Amino acid sequence: MSKNKTQTKIGAPTFWEQYRRKPLGMVGLAIVSLYVFVAIFAPYLTPYTPKEILLADRIAAPAWFRSILPKFADAPSSVRISLGSQEWTVSEAVGGGLAPAESDDSPLSVIQFEPFVRDEVVSEEEIDVLEVEEYPKEPEQGVVTLSYTLPYNYSAPKTFGLTFNYWIEAPSDSKTELEFVIETPEGKRYSLWGKSVSGQLANQPARIDSRDLSLKQRLGMTIFDDPAPRIFSSRGDYSLLLIARTIPGEEPTRVYISDPEFYIPGTVHGLLGADHMGADLWTQLVYGTRISLSIGLSAAAISVAVGTAVGIISGYLGGVVDEFIMRIVDVLMAIPDLPILIILGALLGKSVWNIVLLISAFAWMGTARLVRSQTLSLRERVFVEAAKASGASDAYVMIIHILPNVLPLVFAGMVLRIPSAILTEAALSFLGLGDPRVATWGRMLHNARGFGAFTTLAWWWLVPPGLAITFLSLAFVFIGNTVNEILNPRYRERS
Amino acid sequence: MFTPEAKAELRRQFGLDDPPLVQYVKYIGSLAKFDLGLSFSTRRPVINELKERLPNTMVLFLSSFVLTTMIGISVGVYTASKRGTFADSFVTGAGLFAYAVPSFWIQLLLLMLFGYYIPILPIHGTMSAPPPDGFFLQLLDRIHHLILPAGSNVVIAFGSWALYTRNTMLEALGQDYIVTARAKGLHEKTVLRHHALRSVLPPIVTLIFSALPGMVAGAVITETIFSWHGVGKYLLDAVMQQDYPAAQGAFYLIALAVVTCNLAADVVYGIVDPRIRVGEGGAK
Repeated sequence: MSKNKTQTKIGAPTFWEQYRRKPLGMVGLAIVSLYVFVAIFAPYLTPYTPKEILLADRIAAPAWFRSILPKFADAPSSVRISLGSQEWTVSEAVGGGLAPAESDDSPLSVIQFEPFVRDEVVSEEEIDVLEVEEYPKEPEQGVVTLSYTLPYNYSAPKTFGLTFNYWIEAPSDSKTELEFVIETPEGKRYSLWGKSVSGQLANQPARIDSRDLSLKQRLGMTIFDDPAPRIFSSRGDYSLLLIARTIPGEEPTRVYISDPEFYIPGTVHGLLGADHMGADLWTQLVYGTRISLSIGLSAAAISVAVGTAVGIISGYLGGVVDEFIMRIVDVLMAIPDLPILIILGALLGKSVWNIVLLISAFAWMGTARLVRSQTLSLRERVFVEAAKASGASDAYVMIIHILPNVLPLVFAGMVLRIPSAILTEAALSFLGLGDPRVATWGRMLHNARGFGAFTTLAWWWLVPPGLAITFLSLAFVFIGNTVNEILNPRYRERS
Repeated sequence: MFTPEAKAELRRQFGLDDPPLVQYVKYIGSLAKFDLGLSFSTRRPVINELKERLPNTMVLFLSSFVLTTMIGISVGVYTASKRGTFADSFVTGAGLFAYAVPSFWIQLLLLMLFGYYIPILPIHGTMSAPPPDGFFLQLLDRIHHLILPAGSNVVIAFGSWALYTRNTMLEALGQDYIVTARAKGLHEKTVLRHHALRSVLPPIVTLIFSALPGMVAGAVITETIFSWHGVGKYLLDAVMQQDYPAAQGAFYLIALAVVTCNLAADVVYGIVDPRIRVGEGGAK
């Protein structure tokens, strides 16, 4: 045992012992490890998924801009409130009230009004005694106001919205009015929505959006006015009021309000802001790591495997086969790769797998040439001759004798092929030929260009994906060069 | 959508009634005559549309190419003489950067910086609409539009040329004849330009020509980003609109340019390095 140990120490240092002494190689390895970590643990690094939209206003800036840029000092982040029965307080209740909730976190609120019961006609003596006003001729209007206090301490938002569903159970002789009002800290009231119903009403959705033309008309604004900045112009406690008025009938009236959600999209959001759909950019960046790494690695592996096989066959068999293969290689190398990838990508359909295959299909020729020239010299060596003399088949010699000898060259070549595969994928996605279903860095840049990053000067949308691509490519260049230095000292010049 | 008659008329117009093989032979035959068919979207001959755009592409391509190589080689020669200084490590970094950075990203950043943040350069197109009066003003207007696309190409690519020139120059500067030249008391500039650079120029020129096809292919992205009215953008637009005759025509033109560049590279290789000229007393 001890003898063995000393022997390995005296002998040539292992690959890893050499590798770890190269600072650039180690830096590259550290960066790639970081990317792999991010790719694997993507779901734990972000609370959202790439498909979630409307998390913030369109092209929201990163949240940390608030602390460094005065322009964003008190920009709002997203406010999203689910108003369940527990959130409301009853601020006014005449002739009815909020029915007790079924559970603590029930999203359903029920406003219940007492029925109006007509008095029996009383005797004439009693009528004479009553004052005229006291005589209960007609049912009185019942009013229930649910209110929610919303503290708002930011600058004005660009939009806001409210959605809920409602339905009414009531006798046919009743009349019910619903209204949604926002009261500013100064006490100014904006009635945003209203509905008047006779009798009962089946389930209806209510969608209030500050950008709606009908809402602007209701508030007496022109189409060029923007309600959101006007309403939320000051800081303090706003009241969201849901008012139900009813002229009760002979049965109780119930107004059901389910899943109300009030939403102010933030103009700042998360680590890197949001895109044009309000999706989280940090999430897209993190999940993009998966696509770039897997496309880069698989395209490089496939192209190098094909190139190695073709190169060995061509170099070892020689003759007509070699001539034929090399002419094909010449033709393929003469084809401009990006234009042909654009055409074929559009023709074959946009999917990640197609992109991998296309990139590999036009990237194996260089490896094939390199391996072929190496094979040409290897096949003249004595050990190949010895193998042939002892009856080895061509396939056996190629796999057992030639392949292991070209592997070091091929391995370094493969690592160096990864950055170009990553860059090609990014370019294709950027041009709009990537898989539309997955978040990739190229797609982020495509969206940034196509959906207003320039006009809004949203550099935070443009910079991170490019940096991510650059650092990953650089890391693989470092690793590839280091591997080349160790395994193929004679080929150092070529890298 | 279409009446059967209209459909038949369309099929006849685009020659889709023949069997595929006949269509292919016809297509190859018309390619040789530069008849690239009719564009699906504009119904104009593709060749006419390409003729409009080719000069624009050539202007952008040639200006980028000349500027990049000239700046790259000069910077490379300069840093080779200043080994170990800041300029030297800058060029080494820029060369590495050029390999790892997505070129379209640099172009996007430059576009945002000089087109939007500091709006001094036009953000799209080859000239203003309407163009200014007078030939001289029009020329200036076109140059104004050219600065950003061509300049960004230079920023992206000069680093790799500078790095390659620097490395080959450093190799040459270690040779005996350089020592001799210096020993003769020649001025350092003369040694650099007339002794070292002269001997490293052939491999550099060869490399330049072999990089031409890549630059032609890169035109698609550059033209798309800067909305340059050229062949590359035409190709992408055609692909996006599924305008196959237009896409085929544009691709044919680009492939032709690449093959021409490859041929030029071989010819230039023979001129600058007579050892590889084939035919005169055998190869090598």
